Amino acid sequence: MSKHRVSRRQFLNYTLTGVGGFMAAGMLMPMVRFAVDPVLKANAAGDFTATKLKVDDITKEPERVDFTFDQKDAWYESEVTNTAWVYKNEEGQIVALSPVCKHLGCVVAWNTDKKNPNRFFCPCHFGLYEKDGANVPGTPPLARLDEYPYKVKDGILYLGKAKPRKEA
Amino acid sequence: MKWISTDIEMYLKAAEYVDTAIIPLFPVAFGDGMKESSAKTEFSGLLSGLLERQFRGRVILLPGIPYLNGSEDSLILQLEEWEKVLAEGGLKHVFYITSDIGWKQRESRLGGSLLWMPSLPLEHMDEASKMSVLEDQAKQLMPLFARKWEELDGV
Ligand code: FES
Repeated sequence: MSKHRVSRRQFLNYTLTGVGGFMAAGMLMPMVRFAVDPVLKANAAGDFTATKLKVDDITKEPERVDFTFDQKDAWYESEVTNTAWVYKNEEGQIVALSPVCKHLGCVVAWNTDKKNPNRFFCPCHFGLYEKDGANVPGTPPLARLDEYPYKVKDGILYLGKAKPRKEA
Repeated sequence: MKWISTDIEMYLKAAEYVDTAIIPLFPVAFGDGMKESSAKTEFSGLLSGLLERQFRGRVILLPGIPYLNGSEDSLILQLEEWEKVLAEGGLKHVFYITSDIGWKQRESRLGGSLLWMPSLPLEHMDEASKMSVLEDQAKQLMPLFARKWEELDGV
């Protein structure tokens, strides 16, 4: 009797371990796939996104431009809206600056602080940047604003992925 | 910063710059109230996310607090506890974000600031119009943060 019970328990143990093993494998497989998938997928980061801005309409005054693209964040795909501050500099070249403060990542805006006209202002810790994106010494940010690479196609401005500027 | 491990890591390195907590308050009701309370929860959740994105260097967006419709009064007692703990952690200012009008009449009993925004019907909008509606609402709330900080910093 007791021998029979032990062997039944063993039998159950074996089967359950077996099932558990299957279950673990079943859980692991998708996890590994999820973890690897985004890496294997073609990287869309190099792509340029069309803005609604006509190049001819760009002035010397920085203007806020929103543009939306699909982003694959791990295995989750979503629509992301980015913002750029766009203007033409004295040489007539287009400049598209990222609004993300280099201090701790708040969103900066052009000309919003009355005491500091014609600068980018960060409301979080009162960071300041010159029009060309250079951080104003003495305010918290330690680097200049990132810049978007751009392309012009059919008179429309296309923006890429914001990058830190190489030159100081 | 959001309540996720990467952001909290950043927080731990820069805690002295972060002094504000955002706590969304989410009403939950079943039966007749289900549709309305889910819309309110969705709306204030999205709005909180947008504000976090604007001010991420100075705020922590805490996980929203769900409560059953009608249990606001007992939640107030808990929120007092929250505020105490947050203040000890250097988050001396708290913004509550909700679409539940029930908080309006309880505003004076909250230590933090109440930001109430009526929820707009998002269910039939496409992504783009949803975003622009939400941004318009967020823009109305943003100056309130700036003003609070000016007060706190004595600028
Ligand atoms: S995040 Fe911009 S100054 Fe701190």
